[in-house]
Amino acid sequence: MMPSRMIPEACRVLEAVPVTGKEMHFVLEAPQQEPFRPEPGQFVMVSLPGIGEAPISIAAIPGEGTPEGTFELLIRRAGRLTNLVTRLKAGEYLYVRGPYGRRVGWESFKGTNLVLIAGGLGLAPLRPFIRRALIRRQDFRRIDIAVGARSPDELLFRDDIASWSARHDDVHVGVTVDAASNGWGGRIGVITTLFDDMRTDTEDAYAFICGPPVMYRHAIRKLLAMGFYENHVWLTLERRMKCGIGICGNCQMNGLYLCQQGPLFSYREVRHLKEAV
Amino acid sequence: MMEHEIYRFPRERLDALIERLGREYRVVAPVIKGVQHAWEEVRPGTPVALEYPTTLLPPRQFFAPQREVLYRYRKGDDGKVTFETPPTERPVALLGVHGCDLTGLRVLRSFHESSCGDRMVTDRLDQSFILGIACWVPCMAEAFCRDMGSLENEIPADLYAWDFGEVLLLKVLKARGREILADAAPLEAATADEMALLRRRMRVRHEAFPTHLRFPPSKLPVALEAAESDILWDANADRCLSCGRCNLVCPTCTCFDVHDTGSLDGSQGERVRSWHGCQIPGFSRVAGGHDFRPTRTQQLRYRIFRKGKYMPERYGMVGCTGCGRCIKHCPTHISIRDIFRQVGGTA
Repeated sequence: MMPSRMIPEACRVLEAVPVTGKEMHFVLEAPQQEPFRPEPGQFVMVSLPGIGEAPISIAAIPGEGTPEGTFELLIRRAGRLTNLVTRLKAGEYLYVRGPYGRRVGWESFKGTNLVLIAGGLGLAPLRPFIRRALIRRQDFRRIDIAVGARSPDELLFRDDIASWSARHDDVHVGVTVDAASNGWGGRIGVITTLFDDMRTDTEDAYAFICGPPVMYRHAIRKLLAMGFYENHVWLTLERRMKCGIGICGNCQMNGLYLCQQGPLFSYREVRHLKEAV
Repeated sequence: MMEHEIYRFPRERLDALIERLGREYRVVAPVIKGVQHAWEEVRPGTPVALEYPTTLLPPRQFFAPQREVLYRYRKGDDGKVTFETPPTERPVALLGVHGCDLTGLRVLRSFHESSCGDRMVTDRLDQSFILGIACWVPCMAEAFCRDMGSLENEIPADLYAWDFGEVLLLKVLKARGREILADAAPLEAATADEMALLRRRMRVRHEAFPTHLRFPPSKLPVALEAAESDILWDANADRCLSCGRCNLVCPTCTCFDVHDTGSLDGSQGERVRSWHGCQIPGFSRVAGGHDFRPTRTQQLRYRIFRKGKYMPERYGMVGCTGCGRCIKHCPTHISIRDIFRQVGGTA
């Protein structure tokens, strides 16, 4: 009998940097048994033997802002596994298999305007999109990035946001928080308030959304009202997953398997599904 | 049917067949256990029940086991963990599989073949030996195999039997079936009288199976699509206890959970997959606590839609075989047959 395709590979932690009180940013050695060439929007199954396994979005792709042979993950403490994973130090091992998920052809977005909308931890899966768009800046027209967080303390990837903001002649970055105490000089409000500043030609633009479940409906409604086409609004969805390879059933949403046909979907593909957003 | 080879097989040779199969396979068959029948390992001499009301658990337990070790792990001195695949077990031979459960195995294959290429389940199916058996009467009141088209199904059996008491007529469906049969008894073609009897019995058999649905299963996806509204589902869902029995007894449920077990010092252990179900609380809950299918109405509708719409659309086979297990074992009498009948009214 064929061995299970669910056997992971040991990946050495190269860097483990605490981000907020809840998240760790990992730079890891890429799996080597098969060429590790993820696309933006894909994920890996991450585990510690004896503890468990969970799907985690890839936060940086080898050779795109992180060295070849390495990749990055941002992991939030949310349960037993992630509590222990976030205690790993450089030199220790994390167990990884993948990449999994749909590979969306990058070519179809060429020559258009891009709008990237990230709420909270949603910036991790969108970061490879943003990085690739900035590496291939000439492929796109206007680029807007909207980042939202609950509070200034929970803002992730601050260095990235600063460097993207520094390119203010060719990237438009907006940051907002739901609530802030004194000392926050930035905007306060829900993420959709940033959309009002997007002077983009919505007829010829693609939007990518990733954030907490509550964010999607509001963001989608506003984008459609702004003139975006339904098939130009892309969503990165989240579900429970136990295999990543289309057999455990946990991630099924109506007739779709998130781990195979997603987690990236255009709104047109899922708008008729009761269980989508 | 008649162009196949059909042999007469004296019932008294059953032990010889079990003995022959036992050389290569782990032989399992329905055996009476308390008040019901279960699939159990048998040897020559074990009383095998070829006429039996459907077992509590379906045969999928031998291909996608209730609990299965995916791999064992061991931590090395350098802190790095290595993985080891468990040893291959003996292939299984199933004796006396009803049409509904044969259909369940076909669904299982179509599901696993069209997914990611994980071959643990399909390899076991490939290596198995299956003796199917024709049902003369509904094996229990909840069965609706005739409506679902599985009463007549003989695939993927190697041999298919009609039980005439002292004699079984056995149809060869795969070369492997003939080979095993020839080893267990001299190959003896069914007599003209026996063939005439078989034809006669088969002509009238369907009269013993009442119909429950007014439409063929191929219409289910359309019928269900028209019946998405919550109101249709609330009444049934209100009774649901979320016990998950319907999932566990279903021949076409495939969902599983994964968990680890380890030694106290953490140096070694196993990663295990075990049956899970969409009706069990927490099935669709993600980290942080958000549940994407939180209500029983949504969960029940999902289960029925998966069987009647999502599976046929994705794998080309309806996910309900009409075996009746989920109806029989539901503590609050939720019936997929009644639900299909209700949604059929709107088709």
